[in-house]
Amino acid sequence: MTAQQPLVATRDLGVHFRLSRNTVLKAVDRVSFDVLPGETFGIIGESGSGKTTLGRALVCLEAPSAGQVLHQGRDPYALSRRQLRQHRRNYQVVFQDPNAALDPRMTILRSVREPLDVAATMPRAQRDEVAMQAMERVGLSPDFAARYPHELSGGQKQRVCIARVLTLRPSVIVCDEAVAALDVSIQADILNLLADLQREFGLTYIFITHNLGVVGHISDRVAVMYLGRLVEMGETEAVLARPLHPYTDALLSAEPVALPSHMRTSQRVILSGELPSPVSPPSGCRFRTRCRFAQDLCAAKEPEWSEVEPGHWAACHFAGTLPVTSSPVHGVAEVVA
Amino acid sequence: MDHAVKQPLLEVNKLSAFFRAGRGEVQVTRDVSFTMAPGEMVGLVGESGCGKTVTGLALMGLLPPASSRLEGKILLQGQDLIAMPPSAKRRLRGRRISMIFQEPMSALDPVFTIGHQISETLRAHQDVSRAEARNRAIEALARVGIPEPTLRYDAYPHQLSGGMRQRAMIAIALVCEPQLLIADEPTTALDVTVQAQIVDVLGELCTRMGMAMLFITHDLGLVSQTCSRLVTMYAGEVVEEGRVDDILLRPRHPYSSGLLRSLPALTQRKARLPAIPGRVPVRGDMPPGCRFQPRCAHAQPPCTAPQPLRAVQPQGEVRCCRAEELILPGVLPVERAA
Repeated sequence: MTAQQPLVATRDLGVHFRLSRNTVLKAVDRVSFDVLPGETFGIIGESGSGKTTLGRALVCLEAPSAGQVLHQGRDPYALSRRQLRQHRRNYQVVFQDPNAALDPRMTILRSVREPLDVAATMPRAQRDEVAMQAMERVGLSPDFAARYPHELSGGQKQRVCIARVLTLRPSVIVCDEAVAALDVSIQADILNLLADLQREFGLTYIFITHNLGVVGHISDRVAVMYLGRLVEMGETEAVLARPLHPYTDALLSAEPVALPSHMRTSQRVILSGELPSPVSPPSGCRFRTRCRFAQDLCAAKEPEWSEVEPGHWAACHFAGTLPVTSSPVHGVAEVVA
Repeated sequence: MDHAVKQPLLEVNKLSAFFRAGRGEVQVTRDVSFTMAPGEMVGLVGESGCGKTVTGLALMGLLPPASSRLEGKILLQGQDLIAMPPSAKRRLRGRRISMIFQEPMSALDPVFTIGHQISETLRAHQDVSRAEARNRAIEALARVGIPEPTLRYDAYPHQLSGGMRQRAMIAIALVCEPQLLIADEPTTALDVTVQAQIVDVLGELCTRMGMAMLFITHDLGLVSQTCSRLVTMYAGEVVEEGRVDDILLRPRHPYSSGLLRSLPALTQRKARLPAIPGRVPVRGDMPPGCRFQPRCAHAQPPCTAPQPLRAVQPQGEVRCCRAEELILPGVLPVERAA
């Protein structure tokens, strides 16, 4: 952990949007973490938690309003415009909806080749060749090259999007809900493909999703976001099996796990209420309004982001002392192990 | 099981839906058959395009008559809904069968208050005064867990969050206390924590009101938490029907097994997911015999012959000629499921 330079890091990162003269939406607020080379870092959160904005900030699609994003220890915003253009080729993103990501009037080959056209580092023939190789690598046969997006299924379109980012040989790919729009059998296919590509090209993934099953499957470490802040971060096994933050606990409990009734041992925690407005988050701990353990302290003082166990961070005054009852993983683990 | 003895609430018998396309017709679902007992919760699952929503709309009588055609029977307590004249069907919808949809915002009318939309439903079907309708609407809002129902009665849909809108939809659907609720992906647009709340409310109301629910979803996890029976559809056909707990452990159809195994589990980290190879066949180009056979690891020559949906022991129905000889894994590996 100490020897390796993080490939992507954030230091008290904030991304704020001014909505009107007096209201500022802090979509991402004082977030710090490191992503190491070759790992898959999962970010879980519900809609409105700021996970997509965070993902965009990581690949310089959103400028930080506070704090820093560091790429291999360097601030990309300190680079000149030209340098930045070149630099960001290394940091790519795959979005949720492949329909919106592909130009309906471009052939598949042209869509896949487009990043190379923009980069303009090689002659046309070579660009075509690299694009065809990328398509082959994601399992699209050469006869897809002349087709248009509407002729492809959702899973195939997502493969096109993956092929397209591969052409630039990035070291980091941010996957923002990249499999959320797909049916489970196709989702499994794409997850397998992403795992293969990671092994082959030594890729680092930042996997943003609301699906705990997906995040648990693919990630080495996960971070949990709530209203713009991280509430918990650690090794996937540790976070899923022994959550320290009551929000993580509730998320795990709410996840509908496909198990017969007699194997579901855990009691479910059903959160009351919904996500408060991120424009005026609650004082102190932002989760306190929905937390069943909330006390006066939680409203008065914001909990610190601290390393409760080695490598396992949480922002809760009572982290580690709360009875975490609900994780459905306990039940499953006993049965599967 | 007990649903065999009771008179079924709903009996869907060889229901096929056709849509007009150009000069001809395409068949969207074929011979869909299943039954529901009063108060029973049944999950209807399948991937996008398998015909589950069309089946739900057909039950509700909501497919456009100008561009679609139904064959087969839909019997609600013995009464055939397909043969029924439109006026009789209209009296039935909202009173005896109700439906809720995935996207509450597009199902609610933005220019009327929530309360108005609930009372309207009530007054359309029952002879009640405005004042009584209002009281019962407020009661319905309270029942679905909307805080301060008296105030919310005058709220417009845009003033509510996604979860609250879905609760309002449920309140509209349930205000006449129907016998059957068709819930088409009611929580897909919601966050997991809100989804848990909604599913909880639905389950509780069904139990309390003795209402049957057809839960249409692609999420097998949700089905396992809410339903007792499961109907799996593939490419417009029912391929398996049975008790949820049985199918999760011991699916009888290779497609059900494939669906269950491709779910990424929280515990099986980084393992290769057994995806189903190939893709769903397109309408108009269906393979002969079993429609799943080109993607099936267990396919054999007899699979290209027509496959009827047939009863298997100890219970359930399967559209697979090899159901008896195959031992298929479900959510757990075969040896652990024993």
